[in-house]
Amino acid sequence: MNVQNITRERHSPDSPISGSPVSDLSSSVVAPQIVMRRTDTAAHIISSEILAGFRAWPVWMVMSWDDIRQRYRRSVLGPFWITLSMGVFILILSIIYSRLFHTPLEHYMPFLTVGYIVWGFISSTTSEACNVFYESAGIIKQIKLPFSIYVMRVVWRNFIVFLHTIIIYIPVAIYFKVTPTPIMLLALPGLLLVLLNQVWVTIVLGIFGTRYRDMLPIITTMIQLMMFATPIMWMVGSAENLRLVADVNPAYHLIEVVRAPALGMAPEALSWIVVISMIVVGWAFASVLMVSKARRIVYWL
Amino acid sequence: MADIILRNLSVDIPVFDVGRASLRKALLGRAIGGRFAESRSHVIVNALKNVDLDMHDGDRVALVGDNGSGKSTLLRVISHVYPPSGGTATIIGKVSPMFETTLGMSMDATGMENIQIAGTIWGMTRSQIRNSIDDIVDFTELGDYLNFPVRTYSNGMLLRLAFAIATVRDPEILAIDEVIGVGDANFFEKAFARLLGLVERSRILVVAAHQDAMLRRICNKAVWLSHGSLQAYGPIDEVLAARSNNRAA
Repeated sequence: MNVQNITRERHSPDSPISGSPVSDLSSSVVAPQIVMRRTDTAAHIISSEILAGFRAWPVWMVMSWDDIRQRYRRSVLGPFWITLSMGVFILILSIIYSRLFHTPLEHYMPFLTVGYIVWGFISSTTSEACNVFYESAGIIKQIKLPFSIYVMRVVWRNFIVFLHTIIIYIPVAIYFKVTPTPIMLLALPGLLLVLLNQVWVTIVLGIFGTRYRDMLPIITTMIQLMMFATPIMWMVGSAENLRLVADVNPAYHLIEVVRAPALGMAPEALSWIVVISMIVVGWAFASVLMVSKARRIVYWL
Repeated sequence: MADIILRNLSVDIPVFDVGRASLRKALLGRAIGGRFAESRSHVIVNALKNVDLDMHDGDRVALVGDNGSGKSTLLRVISHVYPPSGGTATIIGKVSPMFETTLGMSMDATGMENIQIAGTIWGMTRSQIRNSIDDIVDFTELGDYLNFPVRTYSNGMLLRLAFAIATVRDPEILAIDEVIGVGDANFFEKAFARLLGLVERSRILVVAAHQDAMLRRICNKAVWLSHGSLQAYGPIDEVLAARSNNRAA
Protein backbone atom coordinates (compact mmCIF):
# COMPACT_ATOMS: atom_id res chain seq x y z
CA MET A 1 0.00 0.00 0.00
CA ASN A 2 1.37 3.29 -0.93
CA VAL A 3 1.24 5.85 1.77
CA GLN A 4 2.70 8.54 -0.40
CA ASN A 5 -0.12 8.38 -2.86
CA ILE A 6 -2.93 8.86 -0.46
CA THR A 7 -5.56 11.10 -1.89
CA ARG A 8 -8.57 12.41 -0.13
CA GLU A 9 -11.75 11.97 -2.00
CA ARG A 10 -15.23 12.94 -1.22
CA HIS A 11 -16.91 9.81 -0.38
CA SER A 12 -20.28 8.78 -1.45
CA PRO A 13 -20.84 5.25 -0.28
CA ASP A 14 -22.97 4.17 -3.18
CA SER A 15 -21.05 5.44 -6.12
CA PRO A 16 -18.92 2.80 -7.74
CA ILE A 17 -15.49 3.95 -8.69
CA SER A 18 -16.02 5.60 -11.99
CA GLY A 19 -15.17 3.68 -15.09
CA SER A 20 -14.55 0.66 -12.97
CA PRO A 21 -13.79 -2.23 -15.23
CA VAL A 22 -14.69 -5.75 -14.71
CA SER A 23 -12.69 -8.71 -13.73
CA ASP A 24 -13.63 -12.24 -13.25
CA LEU A 25 -15.29 -13.11 -10.01
CA SER A 26 -16.21 -16.61 -10.94
CA SER A 27 -13.02 -18.19 -9.73
CA SER A 28 -14.68 -20.44 -7.28
CA VAL A 29 -11.97 -22.69 -6.03
CA VAL A 30 -14.60 -25.37 -5.87
CA ALA A 31 -15.04 -25.48 -9.63
CA PRO A 32 -11.98 -23.68 -10.88
CA GLN A 33 -10.44 -24.90 -14.13
CA ILE A 34 -9.86 -22.13 -16.62
CA VAL A 35 -11.10 -18.76 -15.56
CA MET A 36 -11.47 -16.18 -18.28
CA ARG A 37 -12.13 -12.57 -17.86
CA ARG A 38 -15.65 -11.74 -18.90
CA THR A 39 -17.92 -8.83 -18.63
CA ASP A 40 -19.54 -8.99 -15.24
CA THR A 41 -23.17 -9.11 -16.17
CA ALA A 42 -25.73 -9.16 -13.40
CA ALA A 43 -26.49 -12.77 -14.25
CA HIS A 44 -22.82 -13.62 -14.01
CA ILE A 45 -22.41 -12.07 -10.56
CA ILE A 46 -25.55 -13.78 -9.28
CA SER A 47 -24.30 -17.07 -10.60
CA SER A 48 -20.72 -16.70 -9.34
CA GLU A 49 -21.39 -15.02 -6.00
CA ILE A 50 -24.70 -16.57 -4.97
CA LEU A 51 -25.56 -19.75 -6.85
CA ALA A 52 -22.01 -21.12 -6.98
CA GLY A 53 -21.87 -20.83 -3.21
CA PHE A 54 -24.97 -22.97 -2.75
CA ARG A 55 -23.42 -25.63 -4.93
CA ALA A 56 -20.31 -25.59 -2.76
CA TRP A 57 -22.25 -27.10 0.15
CA PRO A 58 -19.40 -29.27 1.41
CA VAL A 59 -17.41 -26.12 2.15
CA TRP A 60 -20.03 -24.30 4.22
CA MET A 61 -21.21 -27.45 5.93
CA VAL A 62 -17.67 -28.12 7.12
CA MET A 63 -17.33 -24.51 8.29
CA SER A 64 -20.67 -24.59 10.14
CA TRP A 65 -19.89 -27.83 11.91
CA ASP A 66 -16.51 -26.53 12.92
CA ASP A 67 -18.14 -23.40 14.35
CA ILE A 68 -20.48 -25.54 16.42
CA ARG A 69 -17.69 -27.81 17.57
CA GLN A 70 -15.54 -24.84 18.52
CA ARG A 71 -18.30 -23.41 20.64
CA TYR A 72 -18.90 -26.60 22.60
CA ARG A 73 -15.54 -28.33 22.55
CA ARG A 74 -14.72 -30.10 25.79
CA SER A 75 -18.21 -29.65 27.16
CA VAL A 76 -19.99 -32.87 28.05
CA LEU A 77 -23.38 -31.98 26.57
CA GLY A 78 -22.01 -30.08 23.59
CA PRO A 79 -24.71 -28.38 21.53
CA PHE A 80 -27.29 -30.01 23.75
CA TRP A 81 -26.51 -27.31 26.28
CA ILE A 82 -28.72 -25.04 24.18
CA THR A 83 -31.40 -27.72 24.20
CA LEU A 84 -31.22 -27.91 27.97
CA SER A 85 -31.18 -24.18 28.66
CA MET A 86 -33.96 -23.50 26.19
CA GLY A 87 -35.99 -26.38 27.61
CA VAL A 88 -35.71 -25.01 31.15
CA PHE A 89 -36.56 -21.49 29.95
CA ILE A 90 -39.64 -22.72 28.10
CA LEU A 91 -40.80 -24.82 31.06
CA ILE A 92 -40.55 -22.02 33.61
CA LEU A 93 -41.98 -19.37 31.31
CA SER A 94 -44.90 -21.66 30.42
CA ILE A 95 -45.81 -22.26 34.03
CA ILE A 96 -45.79 -18.54 34.88
CA TYR A 97 -47.25 -17.08 31.69
CA SER A 98 -50.02 -19.63 31.26
CA ARG A 99 -51.36 -18.41 34.61
CA LEU A 100 -50.71 -14.78 33.77
CA PHE A 101 -52.69 -15.11 30.53
CA HIS A 102 -55.24 -17.54 32.04
CA THR A 103 -54.45 -20.01 29.30
CA PRO A 104 -54.39 -23.76 30.03
CA LEU A 105 -50.81 -25.04 30.18
CA GLU A 106 -51.61 -27.75 27.61
CA HIS A 107 -52.34 -25.00 25.09
CA TYR A 108 -49.71 -22.54 26.16
CA MET A 109 -46.64 -24.73 26.41
CA PRO A 110 -46.74 -26.33 22.91
CA PHE A 111 -47.48 -22.85 21.49
CA LEU A 112 -44.51 -21.27 23.29
CA THR A 113 -42.18 -24.17 22.52
CA VAL A 114 -42.57 -24.06 18.75
CA GLY A 115 -42.83 -20.29 18.53
CA TYR A 116 -39.83 -19.59 20.71
CA ILE A 117 -37.59 -22.12 18.95
CA VAL A 118 -38.50 -20.91 15.46
CA TRP A 119 -37.98 -17.34 16.67
CA GLY A 120 -34.59 -18.41 18.04
CA PHE A 121 -33.52 -19.46 14.54
CA ILE A 122 -34.86 -16.27 12.95
CA SER A 123 -33.33 -13.94 15.52
CA SER A 124 -29.92 -15.62 15.72
CA THR A 125 -29.44 -15.68 11.93
CA THR A 126 -30.60 -12.08 11.67
CA SER A 127 -28.25 -10.77 14.34
CA GLU A 128 -25.26 -12.85 13.25
CA ALA A 129 -25.88 -11.71 9.66
CA CYS A 130 -24.26 -8.31 10.27
CA ASN A 131 -20.92 -9.98 10.97
CA VAL A 132 -21.14 -12.59 8.27
CA PHE A 133 -18.25 -11.28 6.16
CA TYR A 134 -16.21 -10.01 9.10
CA GLU A 135 -16.01 -13.38 10.75
CA SER A 136 -14.68 -14.88 7.51
CA ALA A 137 -12.46 -11.91 6.61
CA GLY A 138 -9.29 -13.98 6.90
CA ILE A 139 -10.51 -16.35 4.20
CA ILE A 140 -12.10 -13.66 2.02
CA LYS A 141 -8.86 -11.70 1.84
CA GLN A 142 -6.87 -14.71 0.80
CA ILE A 143 -8.96 -16.87 -1.46
CA LYS A 144 -11.83 -16.05 -3.79
CA LEU A 145 -14.89 -18.06 -2.89
CA PRO A 146 -18.50 -17.12 -3.65
CA PHE A 147 -19.78 -14.76 -0.96
CA SER A 148 -22.83 -16.91 -0.37
CA ILE A 149 -20.57 -19.56 1.17
CA TYR A 150 -20.08 -17.33 4.21
CA VAL A 151 -23.79 -16.57 4.29
CA MET A 152 -24.65 -20.26 4.28
CA ARG A 153 -22.04 -20.86 6.97
CA VAL A 154 -24.05 -18.64 9.32
CA VAL A 155 -27.49 -19.87 8.26
CA TRP A 156 -26.54 -23.52 8.40
CA ARG A 157 -24.77 -23.17 11.75
CA ASN A 158 -27.95 -21.73 13.22
CA PHE A 159 -30.08 -24.34 11.52
CA ILE A 160 -28.00 -27.02 13.24
CA VAL A 161 -28.75 -25.30 16.55
CA PHE A 162 -32.43 -25.18 15.56
CA LEU A 163 -32.45 -28.93 14.92
CA HIS A 164 -30.91 -29.47 18.36
CA THR A 165 -33.60 -27.42 20.05
CA ILE A 166 -36.74 -28.37 18.12
CA ILE A 167 -36.51 -31.84 19.66
CA ILE A 168 -37.84 -30.23 22.83
CA TYR A 169 -41.21 -30.17 21.08
CA ILE A 170 -41.36 -33.98 20.91
CA PRO A 171 -41.76 -34.64 24.68
CA VAL A 172 -43.96 -31.52 24.97
CA ALA A 173 -46.30 -32.72 22.22
CA ILE A 174 -46.45 -36.22 23.69
CA TYR A 175 -47.07 -35.02 27.25
CA PHE A 176 -49.86 -32.65 26.25
CA LYS A 177 -51.28 -35.15 23.76
CA VAL A 178 -51.07 -32.94 20.67
CA THR A 179 -52.85 -35.19 18.18
CA PRO A 180 -50.68 -36.04 15.18
CA THR A 181 -52.48 -35.04 11.99
CA PRO A 182 -51.38 -34.97 8.34
CA ILE A 183 -51.56 -31.18 8.49
CA MET A 184 -48.41 -31.20 10.63
CA LEU A 185 -46.43 -32.10 7.53
CA LEU A 186 -47.10 -28.54 6.34
CA ALA A 187 -44.53 -27.43 8.91
CA LEU A 188 -41.77 -28.76 6.66
CA PRO A 189 -42.47 -26.55 3.63
CA GLY A 190 -43.04 -23.77 6.17
CA LEU A 191 -39.58 -24.34 7.59
CA LEU A 192 -38.11 -24.33 4.10
CA LEU A 193 -39.70 -20.92 3.50
CA VAL A 194 -38.21 -19.60 6.74
CA LEU A 195 -34.78 -20.89 5.66
CA LEU A 196 -35.10 -19.27 2.22
CA ASN A 197 -36.12 -16.04 3.88
CA GLN A 198 -33.21 -16.03 6.32
CA VAL A 199 -30.71 -16.54 3.50
CA TRP A 200 -31.66 -13.32 1.74
CA VAL A 201 -31.87 -11.50 5.07
CA THR A 202 -28.32 -12.62 5.83
CA ILE A 203 -27.06 -11.52 2.41
CA VAL A 204 -28.62 -8.05 2.75
CA LEU A 205 -27.64 -7.44 6.38
CA GLY A 206 -24.22 -8.93 5.72
CA ILE A 207 -23.48 -6.39 2.99
CA PHE A 208 -24.87 -3.43 4.95
CA GLY A 209 -23.23 -4.63 8.15
CA THR A 210 -19.83 -4.83 6.46
CA ARG A 211 -20.07 -1.28 5.18
CA TYR A 212 -21.78 0.22 8.23
CA ARG A 213 -20.60 -1.03 11.57
CA ASP A 214 -23.64 0.42 13.34
CA MET A 215 -25.92 -2.15 11.77
CA LEU A 216 -25.21 -4.72 14.46
CA PRO A 217 -26.46 -2.70 17.46
CA ILE A 218 -29.43 -1.46 15.41
CA ILE A 219 -30.42 -4.98 14.47
CA THR A 220 -29.82 -6.33 17.98
CA THR A 221 -32.13 -3.68 19.43
CA MET A 222 -34.77 -4.32 16.80
CA ILE A 223 -34.69 -8.04 17.47
CA GLN A 224 -35.22 -7.47 21.18
CA LEU A 225 -38.22 -5.27 20.44
CA MET A 226 -39.61 -7.71 17.89
CA MET A 227 -39.49 -10.51 20.41
CA PHE A 228 -42.09 -8.67 22.49
CA ALA A 229 -44.07 -7.24 19.58
CA THR A 230 -44.52 -10.69 18.06
CA PRO A 231 -46.95 -13.29 19.36
CA ILE A 232 -44.34 -15.66 20.73
CA MET A 233 -45.00 -15.44 24.45
CA TRP A 234 -48.52 -14.08 24.06
CA MET A 235 -51.35 -15.31 21.87
CA VAL A 236 -53.16 -13.22 19.31
CA GLY A 237 -56.49 -13.87 21.00
CA SER A 238 -55.32 -12.98 24.52
CA ALA A 239 -56.33 -9.32 24.33
CA GLU A 240 -58.38 -7.09 22.12
CA ASN A 241 -56.85 -5.23 19.20
CA LEU A 242 -53.75 -7.39 19.20
CA ARG A 243 -54.79 -8.91 15.89
CA LEU A 244 -53.45 -5.92 14.02
CA VAL A 245 -50.09 -5.97 15.81
CA ALA A 246 -49.67 -9.55 14.64
CA ASP A 247 -50.92 -9.09 11.09
CA VAL A 248 -48.58 -6.24 10.20
CA ASN A 249 -45.62 -8.05 11.75
CA PRO A 250 -43.58 -10.09 9.24
CA ALA A 251 -42.00 -12.10 12.06
CA TYR A 252 -45.45 -13.30 13.11
CA HIS A 253 -46.13 -14.75 9.66
CA LEU A 254 -42.68 -16.34 9.48
CA ILE A 255 -43.31 -18.09 12.78
CA GLU A 256 -46.91 -18.98 11.89
CA VAL A 257 -46.06 -20.95 8.74
CA VAL A 258 -44.19 -23.39 10.98
CA ARG A 259 -45.99 -23.04 14.31
CA ALA A 260 -49.59 -23.40 13.14
CA PRO A 261 -49.09 -26.72 11.33
CA ALA A 262 -46.83 -28.00 14.13
CA LEU A 263 -49.74 -27.43 16.51
CA GLY A 264 -52.08 -29.20 14.11
CA MET A 265 -53.71 -26.18 12.49
CA ALA A 266 -53.40 -24.94 8.92
CA PRO A 267 -51.74 -21.52 8.81
CA GLU A 268 -53.88 -18.66 7.59
CA ALA A 269 -53.62 -17.90 3.89
CA LEU A 270 -52.37 -14.43 4.83
CA SER A 271 -49.28 -15.89 6.49
CA TRP A 272 -48.36 -17.89 3.40
CA ILE A 273 -48.93 -14.88 1.17
CA VAL A 274 -46.85 -12.55 3.33
CA VAL A 275 -43.96 -15.01 3.69
CA ILE A 276 -43.84 -15.88 -0.01
CA SER A 277 -44.00 -12.19 -0.98
CA MET A 278 -41.20 -11.41 1.47
CA ILE A 279 -39.08 -14.12 -0.09
CA VAL A 280 -39.70 -12.89 -3.64
CA VAL A 281 -39.12 -9.21 -2.88
CA GLY A 282 -36.24 -9.93 -0.49
CA TRP A 283 -34.40 -12.14 -2.92
CA ALA A 284 -34.80 -9.60 -5.68
CA PHE A 285 -33.36 -6.93 -3.39
CA ALA A 286 -30.53 -9.19 -2.20
CA SER A 287 -29.61 -9.98 -5.81
CA VAL A 288 -29.56 -6.33 -6.83
CA LEU A 289 -27.47 -5.46 -3.79
CA MET A 290 -25.01 -8.27 -4.46
CA VAL A 291 -24.68 -7.28 -8.11
CA SER A 292 -23.87 -3.69 -7.21
CA LYS A 293 -21.67 -4.35 -4.16
CA ALA A 294 -19.90 -7.68 -4.80
CA ARG A 295 -16.81 -5.87 -6.05
CA ARG A 296 -16.65 -3.63 -2.97
CA ILE A 297 -17.11 -6.08 -0.10
CA VAL A 298 -13.48 -7.19 0.16
CA TYR A 299 -12.32 -3.57 0.30
CA TRP A 300 -14.61 -2.83 3.23
CA LEU A 301 -13.21 -5.62 5.38
CA MET B 1 -2.14 -23.13 -20.33
CA ALA B 2 -1.99 -20.27 -17.88
CA ASP B 3 -1.77 -16.56 -18.52
CA ILE B 4 -1.82 -13.40 -16.46
CA ILE B 5 -2.51 -10.30 -18.51
CA LEU B 6 -2.79 -6.99 -16.69
CA ARG B 7 -3.66 -3.87 -18.67
CA ASN B 8 -3.53 -0.43 -17.12
CA LEU B 9 -4.41 -2.04 -13.81
CA SER B 10 -5.17 0.17 -10.83
CA VAL B 11 -6.33 -0.75 -7.37
CA ASP B 12 -7.68 1.87 -4.98
CA ILE B 13 -8.25 0.75 -1.43
CA PRO B 14 -10.62 2.80 0.73
CA VAL B 15 -9.56 3.16 4.34
CA PHE B 16 -12.32 3.93 6.81
CA ASP B 17 -11.80 4.70 10.41
CA VAL B 18 -14.51 3.59 12.78
CA GLY B 19 -16.36 6.90 12.80
CA ARG B 20 -16.35 7.18 9.07
CA ALA B 21 -17.82 3.79 8.42
CA SER B 22 -20.80 4.58 10.58
CA LEU B 23 -24.33 4.75 9.33
CA ARG B 24 -24.97 7.87 11.39
CA LYS B 25 -22.51 9.85 9.31
CA ALA B 26 -24.10 8.68 6.10
CA LEU B 27 -27.62 9.40 7.30
CA LEU B 28 -26.76 12.74 8.86
CA GLY B 29 -24.75 13.64 5.82
CA ARG B 30 -27.75 12.92 3.64
CA ALA B 31 -30.13 14.82 5.84
CA ILE B 32 -27.98 17.86 6.51
CA GLY B 33 -26.37 18.00 3.12
CA GLY B 34 -22.99 19.54 2.60
CA ARG B 35 -22.17 20.19 6.20
CA PHE B 36 -20.97 16.72 6.94
CA ALA B 37 -19.53 16.17 3.53
CA GLU B 38 -16.03 16.78 4.76
CA SER B 39 -16.21 14.18 7.50
CA ARG B 40 -17.85 11.75 5.13
CA SER B 41 -14.73 11.56 3.07
CA HIS B 42 -12.45 8.63 3.53
CA VAL B 43 -8.88 8.07 2.56
CA ILE B 44 -8.20 6.29 -0.68
CA VAL B 45 -4.90 4.54 -1.05
CA ASN B 46 -3.72 4.01 -4.62
CA ALA B 47 -2.16 0.63 -4.00
CA LEU B 48 -1.46 -0.03 -7.70
CA LYS B 49 -1.31 2.47 -10.53
CA ASN B 50 -1.51 1.73 -14.25
CA VAL B 51 0.33 -1.55 -14.16
CA ASP B 52 0.84 -3.45 -17.45
CA LEU B 53 2.16 -6.98 -17.16
CA ASP B 54 2.11 -10.23 -19.11
CA MET B 55 2.98 -13.57 -17.57
CA HIS B 56 2.80 -16.89 -19.39
CA ASP B 57 3.57 -20.57 -18.94
CA GLY B 58 7.01 -21.14 -17.48
CA ASP B 59 7.35 -17.69 -15.95
CA ARG B 60 8.73 -17.74 -12.43
CA VAL B 61 8.25 -14.17 -11.37
CA ALA B 62 9.69 -12.52 -8.28
CA LEU B 63 7.92 -9.44 -6.97
CA VAL B 64 10.40 -7.06 -5.42
CA GLY B 65 9.98 -3.64 -3.89
CA ASP B 66 9.93 -1.90 -0.56
CA ASN B 67 7.28 -2.52 2.04
CA GLY B 68 4.05 -1.00 0.83
CA SER B 69 5.05 -0.96 -2.81
CA GLY B 70 2.02 -3.00 -3.87
CA LYS B 71 3.39 -6.53 -3.98
CA SER B 72 0.70 -8.06 -1.81
CA THR B 73 -2.01 -6.10 -3.58
CA LEU B 74 -0.80 -7.41 -6.94
CA LEU B 75 -0.87 -10.97 -5.60
CA ARG B 76 -4.43 -10.42 -4.39
CA VAL B 77 -5.49 -9.20 -7.84
CA ILE B 78 -3.92 -12.28 -9.42
CA SER B 79 -5.81 -14.42 -6.88
CA HIS B 80 -9.14 -12.72 -7.79
CA VAL B 81 -9.46 -11.41 -4.25
CA TYR B 82 -9.22 -7.74 -5.26
CA PRO B 83 -11.30 -6.70 -8.26
CA PRO B 84 -9.43 -3.97 -10.18
CA SER B 85 -10.54 -0.38 -9.66
CA GLY B 86 -9.23 0.59 -13.09
CA GLY B 87 -7.94 -1.29 -16.11
CA THR B 88 -8.35 -5.01 -16.60
CA ALA B 89 -6.98 -8.20 -15.13
CA THR B 90 -7.24 -11.36 -17.18
CA ILE B 91 -6.22 -14.44 -15.27
CA ILE B 92 -6.42 -17.76 -17.06
CA GLY B 93 -5.75 -20.84 -14.98
CA LYS B 94 -6.46 -22.20 -11.53
CA VAL B 95 -4.88 -19.91 -8.95
CA SER B 96 -3.61 -21.10 -5.62
CA PRO B 97 -2.76 -18.31 -3.20
CA MET B 98 -0.44 -18.78 -0.23
CA PHE B 99 -0.57 -15.62 1.84
CA GLU B 100 -1.12 -16.88 5.33
CA THR B 101 -0.52 -20.56 5.61
CA THR B 102 -2.91 -20.79 8.53
CA LEU B 103 -5.93 -20.14 6.30
CA GLY B 104 -9.02 -21.70 7.75
CA MET B 105 -7.17 -23.32 10.64
CA SER B 106 -9.22 -23.68 13.74
CA MET B 107 -7.21 -23.72 16.94
CA ASP B 108 -9.44 -25.99 19.00
CA ALA B 109 -9.70 -28.65 16.32
CA THR B 110 -7.13 -31.43 16.10
CA GLY B 111 -4.46 -31.54 13.42
CA MET B 112 -6.39 -34.21 11.54
CA GLU B 113 -9.62 -32.18 11.67
CA ASN B 114 -7.74 -29.16 10.42
CA ILE B 115 -6.49 -31.11 7.44
CA GLN B 116 -10.14 -31.83 6.59
CA ILE B 117 -11.32 -28.26 7.17
CA ALA B 118 -8.50 -26.48 5.38
CA GLY B 119 -8.53 -29.02 2.56
CA THR B 120 -12.23 -28.41 2.00
CA ILE B 121 -11.78 -24.64 1.97
CA TRP B 122 -8.99 -25.07 -0.56
CA GLY B 123 -11.53 -26.82 -2.77
CA MET B 124 -10.36 -30.39 -2.35
CA THR B 125 -12.84 -33.23 -2.44
CA ARG B 126 -13.10 -35.79 0.34
CA SER B 127 -11.20 -38.40 -1.64
CA GLN B 128 -8.48 -35.90 -2.59
CA ILE B 129 -8.05 -35.09 1.08
CA ARG B 130 -7.95 -38.76 2.00
CA ASN B 131 -5.31 -39.41 -0.64
CA SER B 132 -3.11 -36.58 0.53
CA ILE B 133 -3.26 -37.32 4.25
CA ASP B 134 -0.29 -39.72 4.17
CA ASP B 135 1.78 -37.12 2.38
CA ILE B 136 0.87 -34.46 4.94
CA VAL B 137 1.53 -36.78 7.88
CA ASP B 138 4.94 -37.71 6.46
CA PHE B 139 5.96 -34.15 5.85
CA THR B 140 4.90 -32.76 9.22
CA GLU B 141 6.50 -35.61 11.25
CA LEU B 142 3.89 -34.80 13.86
CA GLY B 143 2.77 -38.40 14.32
CA ASP B 144 0.31 -38.79 17.18
CA TYR B 145 0.27 -35.05 17.78
CA LEU B 146 -2.09 -34.84 14.82
CA ASN B 147 -4.81 -36.07 17.15
CA PHE B 148 -4.17 -33.19 19.56
CA PRO B 149 -5.86 -29.80 19.26
CA VAL B 150 -3.59 -27.47 17.33
CA ARG B 151 -3.66 -24.89 20.11
CA THR B 152 -1.32 -27.25 21.99
CA TYR B 153 1.22 -27.07 19.14
CA SER B 154 4.37 -25.01 19.25
CA ASN B 155 4.73 -22.36 16.55
CA GLY B 156 7.06 -24.62 14.63
CA MET B 157 4.64 -27.53 14.71
CA LEU B 158 1.77 -25.33 13.61
CA LEU B 159 3.83 -24.02 10.75
CA ARG B 160 4.73 -27.52 9.62
CA LEU B 161 1.09 -28.53 9.53
CA ALA B 162 -0.09 -25.35 7.83
CA PHE B 163 2.65 -25.49 5.27
CA ALA B 164 2.00 -29.15 4.51
CA ILE B 165 -1.70 -28.48 3.94
CA ALA B 166 -1.08 -25.38 1.86
CA THR B 167 1.40 -27.11 -0.43
CA VAL B 168 -0.57 -30.26 -1.12
CA ARG B 169 -2.56 -28.77 -3.98
CA ASP B 170 -1.61 -28.73 -7.64
CA PRO B 171 -2.14 -25.20 -8.89
CA GLU B 172 -1.59 -23.78 -12.35
CA ILE B 173 -0.78 -20.34 -10.99
CA LEU B 174 0.95 -20.21 -7.64
CA ALA B 175 0.83 -16.87 -5.82
CA ILE B 176 3.05 -16.74 -2.73
CA ASP B 177 3.45 -13.87 -0.30
CA GLU B 178 6.43 -13.97 2.06
CA VAL B 179 5.63 -17.34 3.51
CA ILE B 180 9.09 -18.68 2.88
CA GLY B 181 11.93 -18.01 5.23
CA VAL B 182 10.16 -19.03 8.40
CA GLY B 183 10.82 -21.78 10.90
CA ASP B 184 14.11 -23.34 11.96
CA ALA B 185 16.90 -23.97 9.50
CA ASN B 186 16.23 -27.69 9.31
CA PHE B 187 12.59 -27.13 8.51
CA PHE B 188 13.41 -24.34 6.10
CA GLU B 189 15.44 -26.66 3.85
CA LYS B 190 12.68 -29.24 3.92
CA ALA B 191 9.97 -26.66 3.27
CA PHE B 192 12.00 -25.14 0.50
CA ALA B 193 12.41 -28.49 -1.23
CA ARG B 194 8.69 -29.10 -1.00
CA LEU B 195 7.99 -25.66 -2.35
CA LEU B 196 10.32 -26.25 -5.30
CA GLY B 197 8.34 -29.39 -6.12
CA LEU B 198 5.15 -27.37 -6.05
CA VAL B 199 6.69 -24.65 -8.20
CA GLU B 200 7.77 -27.25 -10.74
CA ARG B 201 4.23 -28.59 -11.01
CA SER B 202 2.79 -25.10 -11.49
CA ARG B 203 2.77 -23.20 -14.76
CA ILE B 204 3.24 -19.69 -13.43
CA LEU B 205 4.80 -18.73 -10.12
CA VAL B 206 4.46 -15.24 -8.66
CA VAL B 207 6.27 -14.79 -5.37
CA ALA B 208 6.80 -11.74 -3.22
CA ALA B 209 9.77 -11.84 -0.86
CA HIS B 210 12.69 -9.81 0.34
CA GLN B 211 15.46 -12.41 0.14
CA ASP B 212 17.12 -11.77 -3.25
CA ALA B 213 19.39 -14.80 -3.02
CA MET B 214 16.49 -17.14 -2.59
CA LEU B 215 14.46 -15.45 -5.32
CA ARG B 216 17.36 -15.94 -7.74
CA ARG B 217 17.24 -19.66 -6.99
CA ILE B 218 13.60 -20.11 -7.99
CA CYS B 219 12.73 -17.26 -10.33
CA ASN B 220 13.66 -16.38 -13.89
CA LYS B 221 11.90 -13.01 -14.03
CA ALA B 222 11.23 -10.16 -11.67
CA VAL B 223 8.74 -7.33 -11.28
CA TRP B 224 9.98 -4.27 -9.45
CA LEU B 225 7.26 -2.16 -7.91
CA SER B 226 7.65 1.18 -6.24
CA HIS B 227 4.78 3.13 -4.68
CA GLY B 228 2.30 1.08 -6.64
CA SER B 229 3.90 1.70 -10.04
CA LEU B 230 5.76 -0.74 -12.20
CA GLN B 231 9.45 0.20 -12.35
CA ALA B 232 10.81 -2.72 -14.31
CA TYR B 233 9.85 -6.16 -15.54
CA GLY B 234 12.25 -8.58 -17.15
CA PRO B 235 14.95 -11.19 -16.47
CA ILE B 236 15.55 -11.35 -12.73
CA ASP B 237 19.25 -10.44 -12.82
CA GLU B 238 18.62 -7.28 -14.82
CA VAL B 239 15.74 -6.15 -12.63
CA LEU B 240 17.60 -6.80 -9.39
CA ALA B 241 20.65 -5.00 -10.77
CA ALA B 242 18.53 -2.03 -11.82
CA ARG B 243 17.01 -1.90 -8.38
CA SER B 244 20.33 -1.96 -6.56
CA ASN B 245 21.72 0.68 -8.92
CA ASN B 246 18.73 2.81 -8.13
CA ARG B 247 19.33 2.37 -4.42
CA ALA B 248 23.00 3.26 -4.77
CA ALA B 249 22.19 6.34 -6.79
